[in-house]
Amino acid sequence: MARRVNVIGVGMTKFQKPGASDEYNVMAVKAARAALEDAKVDYKDVASAYCGYVYGDSTCGQRSVYELGLTGIPVFNVNNNCSTGSTALMLAAQAIAGGLYECVLALGFEKMEKGALASKFTDRANPLEWQANLMSKVQGFNAAPPAAQMFGGAGREYRWKYGTKRETFAKISSKARKHAANNPYAMFQEQLTVEEVLASPDVFDPLTRYQCCPPTCGAAAAILCSDEFAKKHGISKPVWIAAQEMTTDYESSFKEDSMIKMVGFDMAKACANKVYEKAGLGPKDVQVVELHDCFTANELLTYEALGLCKEGEAEKFIDDGDNTYGGKFVTNPSGGLLSKGHPLGATGLAQCTELVWQLRGTADKRQVPGAKVALQHNLGLGGACVVTMYRAD
Amino acid sequence: MSIDERAQRVRNEMGEMRFDGRVAIVTGAGNGLGRSHALLLASRGCKVVVNDLGGGATGAGKSSSAADKVVEEIKAAGGEAVANYDSVEDGDKIVQTALDNWKRIDIVVNNAGILRDTSFKKLTDEDWDLIYRVHVRGSYKVTKAAWDHMQEAGFGRVIFTASAAGIYGNFGQANYAMAKLGLVGFSNTLAIEGKKKNVLVNTIAPIAGSRLTETILPKNITDALKPEYVSPLVAYLCHESCEETGGLFEVGGGLYTKLRWERTEGKLFKLGREIKPEQIKKSWGVITDFGKSTYPANINESMGPILGNLESKALGGNEFIDVDQALGHEFPPQTSRYDEKDLALYALGVGAGANPLDSGELQYVYENASDFRALPTFGVVPALGVVFEALKRGETAPGMNYGFDRILHGEQYTELKRPLPPSAKLTHKAKIKEIWDKGKGAVVVTAITSFDEDGNELVYNELSTFVRGAGGWGGERGPSAEINVPPNRAPDATVEEKISDAQALLYRLSGDINPLHVDPGFAKAFGFDKPILHGLCTFGYAARHVIKSFSKNDPRFFKSIKVRFSDSVFPGETLVTEMWKEPSATGQSEKIVFRCKVKERDKSVISNAAIELYKEIPKAPEKKKPAAAAAAAAPAGAAPSGEPTSAEAFAVIGDFIGQNGGLASEVGKTFLFKLSGPDSAWIVDLKNGKGSVASGGTSADCILELSDADFCAMVAGKADPMKLWTEKKLKIGGDVMASQKLMFLKKIDPKRAMEVVGKLRAAGGGAGASAPAAAPSGEPTSAEAFAVIGDFIEQNGGLAAEVGKTFLFRLSSPDSAWTVDLKNGKGSVTAGGTSADCILDLSDDDFRAMVAGKADPMKLWTEKKLKIGGDVMASQKLMFLKKIDPKRGAEVVAKLRGASASAQPAASGGGATAKPAAAKASQAPAILKVLAERFAKTPNLATEVGAKVNLVISDKFWHLDLTGPGKITEGQAAADVALTLSDDDLVALAKGESLRELYQHGRVRIDGDTRVAHKINFFKGLV
Repeated sequence: MARRVNVIGVGMTKFQKPGASDEYNVMAVKAARAALEDAKVDYKDVASAYCGYVYGDSTCGQRSVYELGLTGIPVFNVNNNCSTGSTALMLAAQAIAGGLYECVLALGFEKMEKGALASKFTDRANPLEWQANLMSKVQGFNAAPPAAQMFGGAGREYRWKYGTKRETFAKISSKARKHAANNPYAMFQEQLTVEEVLASPDVFDPLTRYQCCPPTCGAAAAILCSDEFAKKHGISKPVWIAAQEMTTDYESSFKEDSMIKMVGFDMAKACANKVYEKAGLGPKDVQVVELHDCFTANELLTYEALGLCKEGEAEKFIDDGDNTYGGKFVTNPSGGLLSKGHPLGATGLAQCTELVWQLRGTADKRQVPGAKVALQHNLGLGGACVVTMYRAD
Repeated sequence: MSIDERAQRVRNEMGEMRFDGRVAIVTGAGNGLGRSHALLLASRGCKVVVNDLGGGATGAGKSSSAADKVVEEIKAAGGEAVANYDSVEDGDKIVQTALDNWKRIDIVVNNAGILRDTSFKKLTDEDWDLIYRVHVRGSYKVTKAAWDHMQEAGFGRVIFTASAAGIYGNFGQANYAMAKLGLVGFSNTLAIEGKKKNVLVNTIAPIAGSRLTETILPKNITDALKPEYVSPLVAYLCHESCEETGGLFEVGGGLYTKLRWERTEGKLFKLGREIKPEQIKKSWGVITDFGKSTYPANINESMGPILGNLESKALGGNEFIDVDQALGHEFPPQTSRYDEKDLALYALGVGAGANPLDSGELQYVYENASDFRALPTFGVVPALGVVFEALKRGETAPGMNYGFDRILHGEQYTELKRPLPPSAKLTHKAKIKEIWDKGKGAVVVTAITSFDEDGNELVYNELSTFVRGAGGWGGERGPSAEINVPPNRAPDATVEEKISDAQALLYRLSGDINPLHVDPGFAKAFGFDKPILHGLCTFGYAARHVIKSFSKNDPRFFKSIKVRFSDSVFPGETLVTEMWKEPSATGQSEKIVFRCKVKERDKSVISNAAIELYKEIPKAPEKKKPAAAAAAAAPAGAAPSGEPTSAEAFAVIGDFIGQNGGLASEVGKTFLFKLSGPDSAWIVDLKNGKGSVASGGTSADCILELSDADFCAMVAGKADPMKLWTEKKLKIGGDVMASQKLMFLKKIDPKRAMEVVGKLRAAGGGAGASAPAAAPSGEPTSAEAFAVIGDFIEQNGGLAAEVGKTFLFRLSSPDSAWTVDLKNGKGSVTAGGTSADCILDLSDDDFRAMVAGKADPMKLWTEKKLKIGGDVMASQKLMFLKKIDPKRGAEVVAKLRGASASAQPAASGGGATAKPAAAKASQAPAILKVLAERFAKTPNLATEVGAKVNLVISDKFWHLDLTGPGKITEGQAAADVALTLSDDDLVALAKGESLRELYQHGRVRIDGDTRVAHKINFFKGLV
């Protein structure tokens, strides 16, 4: 029987533009210290660390946590594209659930370059080759950032299928900025109207510049522990992980000539279903969601993949305001990847941080009233999807 | 809320699979699997006819209690069911029960079955017939009765129940196995026939502990194989959300699997020749090799390889030679080395040095001689050595089934690309080039190409062997014209030389150790009085004679030798070589026709022979060095003038592929270049054989579309492919990643490239630089103006560092392009170019006016006579133009004009000129006019859409009111959807391309409700 996993401390840095941030190890240490202080735990009590980042040479994890102490603990460096942060979190949670350790650190950080994501190693097989070739088959290869082409293409396919308006996608960005206005950790806090979103330069129809998450630098961390550890340290009623699952691509990603499936729709749907089954809770039990809005198109698709609304009904869901305060759910109260920013390795843990604050009722102006069950969705092309459900007692 | 309620809620939210409103028949549902299927379907809302005859496991007896019990169970759980007690052989009655009760039938689960297990030895006719009747005929009758109802309703799901016994066979179940696999074939066909009407048919091969398996499996296993583990698959296959049909599934004990056929690739014989049982036996390994296999899923896929073989035609052959197998066979590459000692020994072997004081002979045998040179005919020795090595190892080409004793060296051709170096490591590639049927015998031509360590071809050999008694299959005879016939006059030169008695003993040490040339007993056995001389030894003598007589004893001019061996020579005889100098066909070399005879017997031993001599000694190619530019870096003096055209560039690529043997196996992809303006298509095949370049073609792994000018610029290293791509000037389709493999283009040696281009042009096909249009006298031409700019840049050293940008001027009427580089080095001005930081488009006239200070660039720009693209801000840095001293400018122009015409700066060369595309007339009005006529004829086309549509075609507006019979007006109005596209893409739509595809590719933008666009298919066929 797996043990319960508690999230007793979280912390993150303010997310910043490339060039404006600290060095990765400095950001990582800041986030980790914040999480340790939040948990009121000494680094000496941390039995293992799971460090996520995408860009950087090997062992950046050690370079970071060594500044917290040279305690000789196992340190794992984790790389799983945009779902890196959640992957580190999942490894940490598995270590607690499986009884390996009593208290561990999950840490994510990223120092990104300006501009769109690009391949760093061009002298070897490209891990996204299957995705790129499917896209080339379905819609050609264009002079736009590849990720925008992939998610934008999925947006096109969705629009064609359901008649969704271009404005609907833009509404998601506008909502994200409204939420981010109350988040001091977010990169973009200025408001944007739907018209402004639509008027920004085209990146890959239907996506405009303001519908793409920006390259970002930042770090986030979480301290996880067992019930015994929490009890011993006098921590009462911590937030806990009710269920967590990871899925990778199914055949449908590459066999159905569907951009929607290629960018991970089935992966996300299956992952969410597994989590609901394991937790014994359905989407209707959830109040607050942090989901992977790397592009507006993916937030829209993810509403349906997570079962927040039925397939084909995302436009109505958005128009009814069911994705914000006063509606059925609040999605991305933090501002999401679109407004808060998307430092690849840190994102999964920043989502966790926001949800823990929400479930503790300490999210200040962003607080979702009565939040007891929270859902997190973090997706990487290549691919991996991690869905986590958190609960507060 | 209880955990149960909560779980139920989650299940509902997740979409439980329901069968509400559906009606199913489950045969044999009183027990075991059938009962389990019925209970599961009923628990999910399905109305079930529970059929069971009530008999025993072997078909004996009959009672209603089993079915009734299951019906009661279903009803107790809140479901709906009725019992039926008919035999499955009365299938229509069972279906009637469903219709009587619920007026429909959606699902048939053919499950009923019995066993009559016995060894085949003891099997009776009754056992056989009864099993057939219940399983096969019963399934047929029930399904047949339900079929029409399901087809009419447009929904049906049918399950057949097969068994592992049928798939794999099982002792004592011959009758049962026959019936079970019979159902699979039955199901496969129904799946094909039912698919169109959504009647889907699948077969399961369950393993479950039921009454039927009690007899074949131990009790503890049957207990573990619950029927409940099988039914979920049945339920899914019967559900409306399942689209599977024609499947075969093995299921049980928690395992769910699908089966398919796997077929070996097998052996494909060419048609037209008898296929003998011995060949089947010989190919058995291949026929049964599942290492290479396919999974045919239907008859078409099954037939595919056979249909592909219909056109094949056997080339013929017999027990000695199989032409289909042997012709074109390539032997694995072999390597060998030689050094000075090998050369000297060979030369001694062919009689050199008989007079040790003759320096013309000593040059072949004394390695320290200042002019030590290889005797050119040595070129055959390493190649032949490879053949002997292969024979020693028993390696022959496939399809060559004859012994050494049958072959005679008939003809030999040896060509040197340049003089042989004193030592070398060679790589030989051999291939069966030709096989001719000469009636009694056959001729096999083996081509051997030998490369040096740098991969440059050094020697080419063609070895023609006559295979005695191996002909007569009715194949082609090959060329029979007599070549190299001596002219009807006295020889221009004659050399007579006595061959030493020991000559064969010496020659054999160079590699041909056939005992026929040394062992008297062996020679006798072959019908010779004594050992004979090697034909190739005579060959070497003849070459020495020709070089002595016509090449001033300098072997370096030797190009090639071709001989026919017409008879044997015995050591000790006197060889007479008669030579005639003849005009050569190409004019590139000299040709000496010759023949050899034995003086003592006056017998011709070498006939139809000729040696070609180079006019100039060929030079060794320089060591290859990678360079960025294929053509650009050529030395000014030697280079052909003008940039290479795209055709020439492809010739260069083809040459490079030819030089780099391994390239194709390394890249493994094919590329299609689609060039435009002028249009052409080229295939670069780096997948098949050694690789090739060919013009034309329509498909390849990777497709690259770009303009002819950009292609030339790219190959010349002047345009970066990545940049062309981001600027959308280069489109890549298909296997996008394969395009990265084109990086080899950068390795093309520019010198070699220019040689290829030069050769092409010498042959009369080249495109030279075009001269600029004559300028009005007095005023500087644009070319002169650029020369002035170039001079100014040269005079002002720091300018490039200050400006830091490149500029491309694209002038029109007459068209030309010029690159002003103020970024790299000291800056430069060059003709041509396709990309730069800042691009300026204007007319030739306006440019000259601007440089002459007569036109204001700002004004030209606001009047749209000057277009600025790319880095617009950079154009401000061109203000330096105003600083040019008019006096100095005039001097430069005067100097240019004073010099000869050649001093005029070359205008842009043929390839790299970027011509601004002339505005094409819009086709939209014409297409929309035809559309209006179409609406007038068929108003339904419009009314079916029932919406208002705005069209924005290349920035012009139209409004389509399709709420009525279809009205097209210019301008925009309130609409449900707007389509924005280019004129070209409208034409594409009219030609039948799909709007959905164009949209997904981003060639059409859709604003508003995309679903309206689903119905827009009236453009098709308008062009």
